[in-house]
Amino acid sequence: MLKKLLHSREITAFAFILFMFLGVGAINPAFLSPGNIWLCFNSSVVYTVVAIGIALVIITGEIDVSVGATLGMTATICGTMIRDGQPWEAAILTALLVGLLIGVVNGFGVTVLKIPSIIMTLGINGIVRGLIYVYTDGKWVENISFDFKNLSQGRLFGAITWFYLGALLLMVAVHLVLTRTKHGKYLAAVGDNIGGATLLGIPVDSTKFMAFVLCGLLAAAGGVLYVSRVGFVTPIAGNGYEMKVIAACVLGGISLSGGVGSVIGAGVGAAIMASISRVLVFVGLSSDYDNTITGILLIIIVVSDALIRRRAVEKARRERLAAKTLHAVASEKGATVDA
Amino acid sequence: MQLKHLFKPLGVRFMNEATRLPDDAMLSVRGITKAFGSNSVLKGVDMDITRGSVVALIGGNGAGKSTLMKIIMGIYQPDDGEIYLAGKIAKLGKPAASLAAGIYLVPQEPMLFPNMTVEENVLMGFKEKTQGLRKRLAELLNHLGWKMDLSRRAATLSIAEQQLVELLRGLMRDARLLILDEPTSSLTFNEVESLFKIVTDLKAKGISIIYITHRLTEVFQIADQVLIMRDGVITLNGDVSGFTREMLVAGLLPPNAEVHQGGVACTVEDYTGLTPTLVIDRLTGYGFQDVSLKVYPGEILGLAGVVGAGRTELATTVFGRDVVKGGKVYIEGQDVTGFSTRAMLDAGLNYVAEDRFLNGIFRLSDVAANTTAANLSRMSRCFVNFKEERRVTEKYVQAFRTKVTGQDQPIGSLSGGNQQKVIIARSLSTNPKVLILDEPTRGIDAAARGDVYRIIEQLKEQGLAILLISSDMEEIVELSDRAVTMYCGHINQEFAKCDITQDNLMAAAFGVTEGSATGA
Repeated sequence: MLKKLLHSREITAFAFILFMFLGVGAINPAFLSPGNIWLCFNSSVVYTVVAIGIALVIITGEIDVSVGATLGMTATICGTMIRDGQPWEAAILTALLVGLLIGVVNGFGVTVLKIPSIIMTLGINGIVRGLIYVYTDGKWVENISFDFKNLSQGRLFGAITWFYLGALLLMVAVHLVLTRTKHGKYLAAVGDNIGGATLLGIPVDSTKFMAFVLCGLLAAAGGVLYVSRVGFVTPIAGNGYEMKVIAACVLGGISLSGGVGSVIGAGVGAAIMASISRVLVFVGLSSDYDNTITGILLIIIVVSDALIRRRAVEKARRERLAAKTLHAVASEKGATVDA
Repeated sequence: MQLKHLFKPLGVRFMNEATRLPDDAMLSVRGITKAFGSNSVLKGVDMDITRGSVVALIGGNGAGKSTLMKIIMGIYQPDDGEIYLAGKIAKLGKPAASLAAGIYLVPQEPMLFPNMTVEENVLMGFKEKTQGLRKRLAELLNHLGWKMDLSRRAATLSIAEQQLVELLRGLMRDARLLILDEPTSSLTFNEVESLFKIVTDLKAKGISIIYITHRLTEVFQIADQVLIMRDGVITLNGDVSGFTREMLVAGLLPPNAEVHQGGVACTVEDYTGLTPTLVIDRLTGYGFQDVSLKVYPGEILGLAGVVGAGRTELATTVFGRDVVKGGKVYIEGQDVTGFSTRAMLDAGLNYVAEDRFLNGIFRLSDVAANTTAANLSRMSRCFVNFKEERRVTEKYVQAFRTKVTGQDQPIGSLSGGNQQKVIIARSLSTNPKVLILDEPTRGIDAAARGDVYRIIEQLKEQGLAILLISSDMEEIVELSDRAVTMYCGHINQEFAKCDITQDNLMAAAFGVTEGSATGA
């Protein structure tokens, strides 16, 4: 059991966050105060929820770079409706519905029109980003009711926010679905070997479609949480979130080529992503470096992962070719024995 | 519908009543046709697979074997014809339907999920509860007497082990018909032995097996019945005991093949005293072993064999695309072993790859740019010398009679034959001494094929040494001055001009060499 745990891909993310915290704590012990640690985790709630969504898409071997815009759009809609005094339920439901719809469009483009997912979701990203400006006239959404903002402050035992606790429960639930149910396992199967999945009669296209829909839905959930946590929405809300959550997934052991990784890893990765800006402040650097460091981390991990995989593929190819020639020698010997 | 009858198979067995099925048939197909665009791949196939029998299916590349199997698996839809399962007409529109009907295809390259465990791989795609599945799997393994570590990751398995996992997948689905597509092509000798034991075992349990292979030896070792496909029809069908290897080789050949044999007087070129331009000496690499051959100036050496025999691997390794494990390569006496592709080009070797679309053309560029792409550094200083480019391109367009509207026509809009002429022109613009042509006329119509042959003959007369790789035996017969066949990564036979017949080449390419043929 312990051995299995040590070999899991999430372990590197756990180790990373542990060493990061200890390292920064060595430089500035204030970082290790319980208050600060809880702050790091609690502030990662939006990343966590969106990362769970995009993880579903990445595990099927596709990508969705429209999550940032989806988050911005749904946050804008939710924020506007609450500002205008609409019931919260209506605001939240409308936001989730819009997220779902964007997911449906992405899924349709990728599975029915067969547009490469990077292109499809990049286009949708631009469209949705533009629509935010049309919808808000470029103005900020402010004056959101105190009660709604206060939702994000509720805590259990004065430490973990209800929001983050909810996100963790969601993460565990999605993890169980992915590892314990038939349809959940289809996601990894499709990402692992799409040809093999087709031969086994697995509904490849509808599996991918569902992943995109859920990703849109969870990005919208992220948008709702964003409104409550931040308290106002600018037209560029959610900008750059796609890189953060993709980096979170990759850091958490999810392979960009699909089939490998878990949402637990994505959740840990999201906590790391949320902590980086605080880490920078505590070690005395400007938090302006935040995005640069995220980008560097993303590239280092993806490149090393790709190199390892390429070696494995090349090794397998050579073993296969070697087996073909060896067989001939042996069978010639075999033939002479028969004769 | 009328066309369908025109293309009725010329098989040994002829049926008056298309729907009459044998009583013990597990699977029957009748009058299956399939065309991709204007290319008709299956021209009316009838086939019966009886219960508990092993049917070997052989045929050259492009005979239609895989298309037929994909139709049975529900991956393709036939244009016409019916499929019967146990005497009842079946509608197999998608893989799920074929799987439910008890048909399972073990592909040539196993299609496992590399990042999942063996157990996850076997149990993927079932509707039942995992608990029950695990129990069934344990019982099945027990029944078969196989020992397997179910918790291993599929990526760590050997090809033979991966095939066992594929077989388990099929057996867990209660498959009554297993299709094994060249199962031994990547297996070692011992692994082949144990696979044969398994096949015999499964047969005894009443499971029918379609066994696709390129090795005639295996047909006699394992099969009860043999089917030969050629050009979209089944040309030979019957019990294995009624055939010899020679009869099978004959069945693989087009019906008019005998006409060529000995019809044309053969003149043997004398190369004594000449230094060979290309010498490959006991070369070993990934996919081939201990290969030695010589190509003289003004000679076309044909290299025949089936796909996967190691011909392309040999060519790409010589061209510097993969590592040399042992042996030497010389061009005009100069040792060029292990040179990079750039250095090989400079040393005077060029390679025209087998897949134009993947490794040949720059699809969106025009004819001129494609012609000179390999030679830009020689004809330009800082900027490309367009005058020179036009001159070179014009020279080859004229010489090869390439049909273009102008030098600025994008190559992607040319026909396959004309594309190939441009690609050959490109390789010639580097002034090579040795040219390796890999399947130069694949997918090219008959007229353009003649043009390409004429060009190859011209190059030969200009003193180029040409290594011609082809799966089309007719092409080798027509062009080669000498020929060798490759089988499982080895050169297994060499033929002088007078001995190059489709018959001989086909036999050697399928592993029937003179010594073993008489033995059977």
